[in-house]
Amino acid sequence: MEGKKETISNYVCEILKNYSVERRNLLPVLREVQEKLGYLPVRAMEKVAEALGIPTVDVYGAATFFNLFRLSPPGKHQIKVCMGTACFMAGGQIALDSFERRLDVRTGETTPDGEFSLEEVACVGCCSLAPVVVVDDFVEGNVTPTRVDGILLSWDIGKKKQREQD
Amino acid sequence: MDVSLTERAYIKMKAASINNLKYLEDKPVIRVGTGTCGKAAGALRIREAFKDELTRKGIDAGVVEVGCMGHCYAEPLIIISKPGFPSLCYGKVDEVLVKRLVEDFLINNDPCYEFAMAALEPNDIFPTFRDFPRGVYEEKMILENCGFIDPEEIDFYIARDGYSALADVLNMEPGEVLGEVKASNLRGRGGAGFPAGIKWEVVRKAGNGMKYVICNGDEGDPGAFMDRNILESNPHQVIEGMIICAYAVGASLGYLYIRSEYSQAIRRVNNALRQAREKNLLGASILGSAFCFDLEVFSGAGAFVCGEGTALINSMEGGMGIPQHRPPELAVSGYLGEPTVLNNVKTFCYVPLIMRKGADWFKKTGTPGSPGTAVFTLAGKIAGPGLVEVPMGTTLRQLIFDVGEGIPRNKKFKAVQIGGPSGGCLPEQALDIPLDFDSLEEAGAMMGSGGLVVLDEDDCMVGMARFFLNFTQQESCGKCTFCRLGTKHMLEILKAITRGEGDMASLETLRELAEDVKTGSLCNLGKTAPNPVLTTLKYFRDEYEAHIKGKCCPSLKCPDLIAYFIEPDKCSKLCNICVGSCPVEAIYTRDNGLKAINRDKCVKCDNCLKACPPEYSAVIKVSPPGLVEEREREMK
Amino acid sequence: MNRKVVIIIDGQKITAREGEKLLWVALENKVYIPHLCAVKEQERPTAGCRLCFVEIEGTCNPVTACTQPVKAGMTVKTRTPAVDRLVRTAFELLLSEHRLNCGECPKNGSCELQKIARERGLKLNLHRLKPLSKKVIIDDSPRSFAFDAGRCVLCGRCVWADHRIAGVGAIGFSRRGIHRRITTFADRELAQSPCTECGLCVEACPVGALYFKKN
Ligand SMILES: Cc1cc2nc3c(=O)[nH]c(=O)nc-3n(C[C@H](O)[C@H](O)[C@H](O)COP(=O)(O)O)c2cc1C
Ligand code: FES
Repeated sequence: MEGKKETISNYVCEILKNYSVERRNLLPVLREVQEKLGYLPVRAMEKVAEALGIPTVDVYGAATFFNLFRLSPPGKHQIKVCMGTACFMAGGQIALDSFERRLDVRTGETTPDGEFSLEEVACVGCCSLAPVVVVDDFVEGNVTPTRVDGILLSWDIGKKKQREQD
Repeated sequence: MDVSLTERAYIKMKAASINNLKYLEDKPVIRVGTGTCGKAAGALRIREAFKDELTRKGIDAGVVEVGCMGHCYAEPLIIISKPGFPSLCYGKVDEVLVKRLVEDFLINNDPCYEFAMAALEPNDIFPTFRDFPRGVYEEKMILENCGFIDPEEIDFYIARDGYSALADVLNMEPGEVLGEVKASNLRGRGGAGFPAGIKWEVVRKAGNGMKYVICNGDEGDPGAFMDRNILESNPHQVIEGMIICAYAVGASLGYLYIRSEYSQAIRRVNNALRQAREKNLLGASILGSAFCFDLEVFSGAGAFVCGEGTALINSMEGGMGIPQHRPPELAVSGYLGEPTVLNNVKTFCYVPLIMRKGADWFKKTGTPGSPGTAVFTLAGKIAGPGLVEVPMGTTLRQLIFDVGEGIPRNKKFKAVQIGGPSGGCLPEQALDIPLDFDSLEEAGAMMGSGGLVVLDEDDCMVGMARFFLNFTQQESCGKCTFCRLGTKHMLEILKAITRGEGDMASLETLRELAEDVKTGSLCNLGKTAPNPVLTTLKYFRDEYEAHIKGKCCPSLKCPDLIAYFIEPDKCSKLCNICVGSCPVEAIYTRDNGLKAINRDKCVKCDNCLKACPPEYSAVIKVSPPGLVEEREREMK
Repeated sequence: MNRKVVIIIDGQKITAREGEKLLWVALENKVYIPHLCAVKEQERPTAGCRLCFVEIEGTCNPVTACTQPVKAGMTVKTRTPAVDRLVRTAFELLLSEHRLNCGECPKNGSCELQKIARERGLKLNLHRLKPLSKKVIIDDSPRSFAFDAGRCVLCGRCVWADHRIAGVGAIGFSRRGIHRRITTFADRELAQSPCTECGLCVEACPVGALYFKKN
C-alpha cells in the first residue's frame, strides 16, 4: 500500500515537471494525471494542490465538477452508451437498461470484479447507426437487447479462451 | 517593402505545396473519409483494404485520408479520382466493393456506376451532388473543403488558396480588416448570433496591452457535431481565421478550446498548428511581417456549461466551469482579466473567405439580417441524416423535405427540435419560417448549436421535453437557484407526467417555473433550458393533457404508460421467435399455443415487437396499459 | 474617488457613489432587498441566490441588485409584480431543499430566510413544490461548531470567509448542478481538514447550516 502511494507521487511529480506553477495549469495537469493513472487518487490531488500552491479543496472542486475526471479506478472494459439525441430517440435508454440489468450495476458504476464500467456519453457522432454503444474503443451500432447479450457473451467467451490458453 | 514580402513568401509557399502534391497527379487517387463518423463506420478498415488490394494487384495509386463530407448516412464514404473520369463518390463501402472497385475501375476502367452515389464535377456521364434534391438548396461555404483535403497535410489547404487571405491581410491596416468583417455583418455561429465585427472592435479599442483570441470548440449539444467535423476535416481554415482576427484586434496569443471527448480533433489541430508554425504562419514575424501570434489547444474536461463564455474562461484559469454575471463582457475582461475575443469554430471559418472574396460576396448569400450560410446536423426521423450547409433563410420545410429527403417509412411529420437543449420544438405550421437568427428566436426556438432533430408520429413530445431538460439539469453548474433547483423541479414534474402521476395543477406549476427560470437565471444555460418545455407546452399541450388525464401516451413511447400485447388472432401459435427474443423470459406459451406476455416481468425493451415476423405483426403496444386487461377479458 | 450621484429607490432620493452596487446602497439607506450570497468586498459578485431582484426604469426584466452599478438618475423599484414573482419562486426553490425544522434550529429567530419571509410576506413552507429529500448529514467533528448540510443554501459566504478572510482553504464547493455542495477535500470530516476553527465561516452563514455548539 505504502509502495503504491509512492508510485503515485512519483508519477505526479514527473508530470508536474512540464508545467509552470500557475493555477491555470490545473486542468491540463489533472487530465495528464488521469491519463497516466486511469483516475485521480486522493494522493495525486494533494500532490497537485501542493505543487500549484492552491488549497486541496479547490483541486477537489474541479475534479468533481467535470465529467472527464473520475475518483475511482475504471473497469477493465468501458462500456459507453450513447445518449445523444438521435440515439435516445432510437432506444438508447433501452440499451442502457439492458446493460444495467445484465451487469447488475447502475450507470456510472463498475462491476464488483472490476471487469466492466458502464457510462453514458453524449453524441459520439455516428447517429446513422443509432443506438450506438462504444465498448472500449469499438463502436457497436443498432444495439438491441439481443445485441447487448451478444456483446457481453463475446467477452465471456474471449475470457474463457484466454484462461484456457494460460 | 512589406507588400511584396508577405506576398512573395506566400507565392513561394504555395508553389512548394503544389509541388509537394505532384506525386498525386496522373494517377488514381482514393480519398477515404476518416472523420470520427467515418471511423466509427469502419473507414480505417476500408483504407487498409484498399492499400492491401492495391499492393496485391501492383497498382500505383494514392490513398489519402480526408475529413467528412457530411453524408453520414452513407459512411464509410470514399472518392475515387482517376484521370479520364469524373471524381466519383461511393457510399457504404465494404471490403467486397473495395475489391470490385480496384479490379473493375482501377484496372479495367469500369467505374461501377451502379454503386456510385454522385460525381463531384459536372460531366456528361454521371449526376453530381448538385443534381440531388439537396444539391439545389445546399451551398457550401465553410464546408467546401471538408472531405476533399487531407487535414493532416497543410499542403492540401495551401494548394487550394489556403492562407492567401492571411498574406493579403498582413499588408492591410488592422482597421481595414476589421472594417471588412464589420461590413460583412458576420454573425456569431455559436448560438446567439452576435455580430463578430462589433465584438472585435471592442477588443481592438481596448488599449495596447495583452489580448487573447479564443475559439470556442466546446460543442456540447448532445446531437450536434459540425464543429468537430470542421476541426477534423479542415483545421487550417479555423486557424487562418483566428490569425486574421488576432491581427485585426492586436492579440498575440490565442487558444482553441476543444472538448476533451474530441480526441481526433485535438490531435489534428495540434498537428495543424505544428505545420503552420513550421511554415512561419504562426509564431514570430508571420510570413516575414512584423506581426507575431501563436496558438495553443486547451482541451476542456467535459462540461456543457463550459461552452458559456465566462465559464469557459473560469475553467481555463484553473477553476470550476462556473459562469459569472455579465457585464463585464469578455471583450472587456476575459482570459486572465484581459480583453478577449471568443468566437465559435464556424465564425472563424468564414473569416478567410470574407477577406479573400469580400464582404459583398458574403452578403449575396443568406438574408439581409443574417448573411451567409447556416450549418445544421440533421438527425432523428430523417432519410438523409448528416451535416448540411444551406443559405440562411432556407425554410425548415426545404431543409427537412428537400435537403434531408423527408421522413422515412412514410411516417407523418410531427415536430422539429432545433437548437439542441437550448432550442425549441416547432410544429408543422412553423415549417415555413425562414431559418435565420431572428425568425427562429421569434418562434421560441434558437439557432443554438445547429442541431436539428426531426420527430415523427411515434415520438412523444413530453418525452422529448424530458430528455432535453434531463440534459440541462445534469449539466447545470449549480451556482444559481433557478437553474440548479428550478430545472430539477421541472424535471421531477415531467417525470411524474410521463409516469402517469401528473395532475393539472403541476402542469401549471411547470409553466410558471419554466417562465421564471427563463427570466431569473444567471447565464444563458438556465435562460434557455426551459425552451423545449415552453414550446412543447405551447404547441403540443394536448399530449401533456393525454398523459395527465387519460394516463395515456398517444405516441406509445413512455414506458410506464404502455403495455405490450400479443394479438391472439394474429399470433401464429407455432412460431416461437418472440419467446426467444425476450431478454427476461416474460413471454410464455398458453395451453392453446398462443403466446402471451407476463406484464410483471416485461421490461418494455421492444425486442419482441421487432422480432415478431412481419407477416404476423402480432405484438402491439397499447396505452394506457389497462387496455390489456380489457382485451383479455374480451378474449374470455 | 467616484463622483456622487442621486438615484431614486422606491420614490426615495438617495445619494450614492457612482458605480457602487445597488444592493449595498439600498441596505445602507434602510431599504431592504432580500439577499443571501452577496459579499460586499467581492469584486465580481456571485449573483447565485437570485433573491435581490429589483426593477430599473427603462429595462424590461428585473435585474439583480448585487451586480447592478449605480448610475446617475437611476429609478429603482424594489417591489413590482415581476420582482415579487421571481423572489417568491426563488425563495420557494431554496426552501424545497432546506430542511425545515425551525423549532430545532439554532438560528431560529436570526435566520436570514425567516427575515426574507417576514419582509416579503412569504410563507416558510412549500405550496407548489415537493420537498427534495436531502440526506441528513451533520458534521460535528470540530470542537466549537457543526455543519448541517441539509440546511445549507449554497450561498458560498462561508467559502469566501474561509478562503479570503481567514486564508485557510479548508472548505469549498464541489460537484456540479443539483449535487453541488460545500465540502472539505475528499469529503473528509472538518476535523480532518486544514480547518483552524477560527469561526469566521460560522459567522458568515446566513442560515442554520454552520452553527456554534452550545457549551
Ligand atoms: C450553456 C451554453 C453552452 C454553449 N456552448 C457553446 C458551444 O459549444 N460552442 C460555441 O461556439 N458557443 C457556445 N455557447 C455560446 C458562447 O457562450 C458564445 O456566445 C459563443 O462562443 C460566441 O461565439 P460566436 O459569437 O462566434 O457565436 C454556449 C452558450 C451557453 C450559454
Ligand atoms: S444577493 Fe444578488 S443574487 Fe444573491
